[in-house]
Order: sequence, then C-alpha cells, then structure tokens
Amino acid sequence: MASITLDKITKVYPNDVTAVNGVSLDIRDGEFMILLGPSGCGKSTTLRMIAGLEAISSGDMLIGGRRVNDVDPADRDIAIVFQNYALYPHMTVAKNLAFGLKLRHVPASEIETRINRVAALLGIEPLLGRKPSQLSGGQRQRVALGRALVREPQAFLLDEPLSNLDATLRSSMRTELIKLHHTLGTTIVHVTHDQVEAMTMGERICIMKDGDIVQVGEPMEVYRNPANTFVASFLATPPMNLLPGRIESVGAGALVVAMDGVALPVPTAFQAAYASHSGKPVIVGLRPEDFHLAAGDAARTAPIDLVTITTEVLGPEVILVANLASGAGPEIHARMPRDFRAKIGQPLTLHFDLAEIQLFDPETTRVLPRPAHP
Amino acid sequence: MNQSKTMEAADRRFGWFMSAPSLALLLAVILFPVFWALFTSVHDYTLIAPNFDTFTGAENYISAIQDPAFRHSLGLTAFFVAAVVLFEFLLGFIVALMLNSVERFKPIYYGILLCPLLMNPVIVGLIWRMFLHPSLGIVNYLLTVVGFEPVNWLGSTQMAIWTIIMVDIWHQVSFMIVLLLAGLSAMPKEPYEAARVDGARVYQSFFYITLPLMMPVIIVTLLIRMIFAVKTYDLIYIMTRGGPGVATDLVSYSIYRTAFVSLNVGEASAMSAILLGFILLLTVYLYRYMRSLT
Repeated sequence: MASITLDKITKVYPNDVTAVNGVSLDIRDGEFMILLGPSGCGKSTTLRMIAGLEAISSGDMLIGGRRVNDVDPADRDIAIVFQNYALYPHMTVAKNLAFGLKLRHVPASEIETRINRVAALLGIEPLLGRKPSQLSGGQRQRVALGRALVREPQAFLLDEPLSNLDATLRSSMRTELIKLHHTLGTTIVHVTHDQVEAMTMGERICIMKDGDIVQVGEPMEVYRNPANTFVASFLATPPMNLLPGRIESVGAGALVVAMDGVALPVPTAFQAAYASHSGKPVIVGLRPEDFHLAAGDAARTAPIDLVTITTEVLGPEVILVANLASGAGPEIHARMPRDFRAKIGQPLTLHFDLAEIQLFDPETTRVLPRPAHP
Repeated sequence: MNQSKTMEAADRRFGWFMSAPSLALLLAVILFPVFWALFTSVHDYTLIAPNFDTFTGAENYISAIQDPAFRHSLGLTAFFVAAVVLFEFLLGFIVALMLNSVERFKPIYYGILLCPLLMNPVIVGLIWRMFLHPSLGIVNYLLTVVGFEPVNWLGSTQMAIWTIIMVDIWHQVSFMIVLLLAGLSAMPKEPYEAARVDGARVYQSFFYITLPLMMPVIIVTLLIRMIFAVKTYDLIYIMTRGGPGVATDLVSYSIYRTAFVSLNVGEASAMSAILLGFILLLTVYLYRYMRSLT
C-alpha cells in the first residue's frame, strides 16, 4: 500500500495541447479517491501518468514517497483496470491472471494459490479455463479486476471500469468494489465521469475540468459546498438550479437575494458573509431537493411562485420542471414527493430552504464563501 | 408450396443460365489444360510424335521420380522455397514492426516498398541481370570501388542460387511487409498497455503478445508465399536458364526444359502433376487453416 502524490503535474502533448495543467493532489495511503470530470478534462491522462503509460511533461509524481517520473510502469508496482478490460485475447482467464506474476518470477505454487484466492473472491472459478472471447462483459470485467487483484500491488488504478456494463451490473459492481476496498484496504484511484459512482464509492472526490482540479473533498462536502458553478451543475441529477439574481440591502443590515419577481431573505447567519456583495449581481444556486410543498419555519423558508412546465414521474419521486412566475430565467427543477402532480401551466407556490442557498460570483463563477449551515 | 418449388427450380435454372458463359470460359482455360496434362502424363506423348497412341500408365511418373535431374530440381526448389520464405519473413517482419511504429510519411514508405512488387518478374530479372553483370554491372563496380573482389554472381555454381534468392527477396519481401503490417496495425493496443503495467519489457510483449496474436496472419502469409515460391519460373528463365549447369534448375524451369527442349511432353506432364500435388497439399492446408480461424 502506498500514498500517491502529484506535485504540479503537467501533461502537454506533442501537438501543444495541454491535457493536464499543473495538478497537485495528495492521495492518502489506503484511500479510495475518485477522479471525476466530463470527457476531455484530463482525468484519464492523470491516471495514465500515475500508471506510467503517459510521460509526465513537468512536475513530480511520487508513489509511496518515491519519485517515479522516470520509473517504468513495470517497476511502479501498481495495477490498472482498463475501461475495455484489455484482457490478453489469446490466453485463458487463468493465464491472464498469472501473466503479471510469471513476469515477476513468482513461484508457480504461489501463483496458483493467489489465482484460486482471487477467483474465489470474485466468483470466477468456473471461468478459469475459458478465453476472454467466451466471456460476457460483466465476466470480463471481473477477470480484469482479478488480474489487478492477484498482483497485490501498492495501488489500484481504475479507468472507468464500470462504464461498459449495463445499469444493474454497474450498480452491483459498485457495491463489490466498495466491499473489496474495505477488505483489502489498498489505495484506489478510480476515474469516472459518472457522478453517482463518484458520490457512492469515493472517500474523496477530485473534480477536474479542462486539465485543472476544481475541487477536492469528501462527497457530501463537495455536494453541499460546491466550489463553483461547474461543480454545482456537475454533481447530481437534476443538478443545482443556477439562476441570475442580485443581493440587495433592505435596511438595518438585512439582505435579500432578488430574482425576477422573487426576493429570498438571506438568513442572519449568512448576512455578514454576503454583506460586501450587496448591490452586486450573483448566481443563485438552489438544490432541487430544497424546494418543499409546505412552508416551514418562517426564518428558514421563503415562498417562490412558479408556473409548471412539466412533471417527470420517476416512481420514488417526481421532478417538477417549472419557471419563475414572471416567466423569466432558466427552467427550475425541484424534487417533489412521489404523489405530487401538477398540470402544465398550473401556478404553484413552493417553499425554499434558505439555509441551503449558495451564491456564486457571475464573473469568476466561484462560490461566495459563507459559514456552514446554521 | 408447389408453386414456390417450381419458382425455386426456375430461379436455379436462371442462375445456371446466367453463369454458363463464365463457367464455360473457366472450364476452357483452367480445367481443360489440367485434364489434358493429366491425360498426357499417362501417354508416351512427345513433340516429335504428338499422339496418344501409346498408353504408358505410370511409366512417365516412375521415370520422372527416378530421374536424378528432376530429383535435384525438387530438392533445389525445396531449398529455394525455404530460403526465400524464411529470409523474406524475417526481413519483412522486422521492417513491418519498424513501419508499424512510424507516425509520419507512412504512405511514402508504403509507396517505395510497393514498387518492386508492382514490377513484372521478367523486368526484375532483366534489371538485376544488368546490375549483376560480372564486368559491366554496377554491383561489381561498386564492390571494386570499396576494395572488394568482383563477384561472379550468376556464373558461379556456388553463387548463382543465392543470387536468385537475393533477387527474389528484393522482389517479394514487400508482399510480406504489406501483409504483416496489415496484421500488426489491426492488433489491439490495450493488451500492450496492460502488459506494460503487468511488468512486461518490450521483448516480453513481443514474444507473449505480438507473436501469438499475429500467428494466424504469419501462417497465412507464409503459406501463400510458399505456394508462389514453389512456382518460380520467370526469374530463372531470364537470369540463368537453370544454369550454370543445373545450379539454379528449379522445378518449374526443369519441367519447361523437359517439355520444350527434350520435347518429352508426356514426362513433363507427369512432373507437372507431381508439382501440382505438392501445391494442392499446401493449398488444402492453407484453406483448412483459414477455415479453422473463423
């Protein structure tokens, strides 16, 4: 097991495209770290640089405290699971698992013990004699995982390993990976563009965009305190509603967030933090689950008048798509209980939980710092 | 039911009708000569007495097999085929591996490599006969310029077969390169990355991944090349006429001599049948192997 440290890692491709731009990240020993971002954000390149499959243009890469910039992938003692599994097509499952051990001159008896142990762990014993072409996608996925496990490396690198599986299998593999990490305690770096994987699996999430790290933190911390509008709109479906607004003073130090036809009073706990932005435009971030049908404590909730555009009945919940009553601004998504129904064009009043409001600077898109939840 | 049966029969008749011209042509230019040769091979048919009056049974076959010159030709051809296929494969594979990792100017390399392959063997033979002329050829001139003794490329019984082998390699190696390169570029990239992380060095990746994955392409390429090499005739005719002596008397040329110099068409036909047998064997194996792949 080992920690992995990225110190101002940059990757510039020969065609002058900068894929990763001076990224610094500390992955702790035994941590389950998620690299999350849209395609092209540099997360896979970062993972491949950790593996040694991609040369590092500048910066330092440390695995277990050892600088590995110029160390061959073979000597980094890490294992990688590829998105398309990359099994050796001409070898049986058993030989696929044994290959890395054989190259490292592990004694045959030891190889057999380890293969049997991993095969039992993943439930692939009946497949050991088969070739990859005779396996289903889920089985190949397990073999690819087994090939990594059997090596007992210092760290596992997973490059979107679940993205080729169907939804049910993906969900069960998620649970299995979490269980595996719990059993083995080995450092895992998992690259994904799927925010559900990120939220459910990671001990910490590192969100990347355009070759930069945007935010690193525990899933709920990132979810509740997004660093900017990108993170706010990337995590969760439907994402945080982002609406144009303005902070206005209403005398005696009281502030409101004014949107078209709506004024949300700023909770007292946040007023000091937002005071300096008084009179300036902001982007108002409202999570869909913070809209409620009933008014709560008057100090905590504020009514918002909406006009229904449509409802999406998902089963466990209903997503209400609506406009502000004034008709201005982008669509608002709100999570409603499963029995909620509304006709198209029907006016509604929902109550927003003010303690959950997030405000962003429209120019920098960065969040305006405020105290944690009151 | 009944109607569909008659319609099917009508379809089939129409099919035969449409393919009849090409079938007739194939019959005339391929099957007829083959059967004619097989028929001739069991008769005493010479160009002095071109008739099928004397049925000789297996006599032509026995005398062909007992003929030391023919046996020499068979042995020499086996050696020639083994040498050209082996060297062309090794050289072709090395060049293909190098070209496979080339990023720029690939079409230009392709173009240059394909030039020899596009040339008629007769032209290749003529060019090289000029290049290798003992006193006027550019090869010997260059050798003397850098201080070597001139070589009697085609006149020495020791050297001549190797000269033919070298010219054949020059002519045909591109075939190997193109086929092997096609195989290499169709190889999946991912297993190599997996192998690198698994701890494989470059040579280990080659032996554990490239070779086994390339095996079908390699075997097919070798077999096709062998089938063609067995039939080598034009180069010999242009460059050495089987000489000096019988030093380059490959089996195709030997058959030609038996038929049109010794005028013994019957025995030459028997020799052709024996050669055809060998080639058929290779072809059947190739066909079976290719079927086993799918």
